[in-house]
Amino acid sequence: MDSLKIFNSDVVIMKSHTFLYNGNFVNSLKLLAPSFPSTCTKKPPTSASTARGGTTGRHFQPSSHIDLKPSCSSHMAAPTSDGLIDDRIARITSAIRVIPDFPKPGILFQDITTLLLDPVAFKDTIDLFVERYKDKNISVVAGVEARGFIFGPPIALAIGAKFVPMRKPNKLPGAVISEEYSLEYGTDKIEMHVGAVQEGERALVIDDLIATGGTLCAAISLLERVGVKVVECACVIELPELKGRERLGGKPLYVLVS
Amino acid sequence: MSAGENGDSDGRIKGIKSALRVVPNFPKPGIMFQDITTLLLDPKAFKDTIDLFVEHYKHENISVIAGIEARGFIFGPPIALAIGAKFVPLRKPKKLPGEVISEKYILEYGSDCLEMHVGAVKSGDRALVVDDLIATGGTICAAINLLERVEAEVVGCACVIEVPELKGRERLRSHGKELYVLVESQFEPTTQ
Repeated sequence: MDSLKIFNSDVVIMKSHTFLYNGNFVNSLKLLAPSFPSTCTKKPPTSASTARGGTTGRHFQPSSHIDLKPSCSSHMAAPTSDGLIDDRIARITSAIRVIPDFPKPGILFQDITTLLLDPVAFKDTIDLFVERYKDKNISVVAGVEARGFIFGPPIALAIGAKFVPMRKPNKLPGAVISEEYSLEYGTDKIEMHVGAVQEGERALVIDDLIATGGTLCAAISLLERVGVKVVECACVIELPELKGRERLGGKPLYVLVS
Repeated sequence: MSAGENGDSDGRIKGIKSALRVVPNFPKPGIMFQDITTLLLDPKAFKDTIDLFVEHYKHENISVIAGIEARGFIFGPPIALAIGAKFVPLRKPKKLPGEVISEKYILEYGSDCLEMHVGAVKSGDRALVVDDLIATGGTICAAINLLERVEAEVVGCACVIEVPELKGRERLRSHGKELYVLVESQFEPTTQ
């Protein structure tokens, strides 16, 4: 998963944020923090980088007002009808839960597990991706371990594509190719099976969330190394402040919520 | 019950079985690893896998599919989506954010732990546990315990593959739980 960056303004955020927590769902999250000059530089990180095994840097940099909101820019697919898209995205957005101070203090973790508890919203999530990709001759859906395994296979099944798991080291049996990528401190690796994909295939890369884009970038590299065309990356959630979108080597990114 | 064992010449099961791959000596010497990733590369066989599970359980009023990290995350969600159930991930320690309950279970050497979110499953929910494979049944029993601790009713357990020699089925039966699998483990390394 993407690298963990500790932004040392956590005290400010925690003092000033309020959010509505309604059982497992947050209806909206509004962070009110003093506005920072745009040239503000980060303090050097004070703690270790990503823990292994699924923790990820899902945090907000301070801004004057942060809303978890439906993504509404030109990278949305042409809707079947605008109202239908908006309704579904509103429900998906409200089904996502934010957990403060996970995995570390100051980090606001975007938790998709509550989305999975809402069968309508989960189905809508998959449908939105399928509607976008079903006529694009995608033959491979590559999902990044582990939450990419939840969203990738239903998309693959619906569009008749292969599902290819991209995994942490030493999980896939047999011959693999690896791609190393940088974390804040040190590196991590993802792996793909040799022979899973063929040169010339058209692929999507799926994960639940894009933060800095490091993991997705590594996934794109793995596929391109074997001659696959990565058509697009697709995530449920984007953290735009972390600029992952710019790190995808020019590959387009499609998200539902940012 | 294994799908296809009653003389049912289900072509779908044959296709699924032939799409699986055996990788010898993984993760360590002597182990014949049953690899489902090749099944996922065969869209028809993967769809048939999900369809067989859905057909088996769709009239059971299942409200929760609990999938065991990580390969249970591949098979569980499509089943959940098809039958309109919640999907609940059961994870290794410290992966789930927020409040969790944990269940420890014994390995050959040492122990491990499975976690579930507090509040994900309610008393009275009817649950199905899903994983790619059942070996000794230790992990699946931990999953059952987690669900029963919050007073869900565990209707059954579904896996693509069973390793009969390791007696997971018997272990589940001793807890009164049904196991549904599609194929048994294979011994010969496949040439793929």
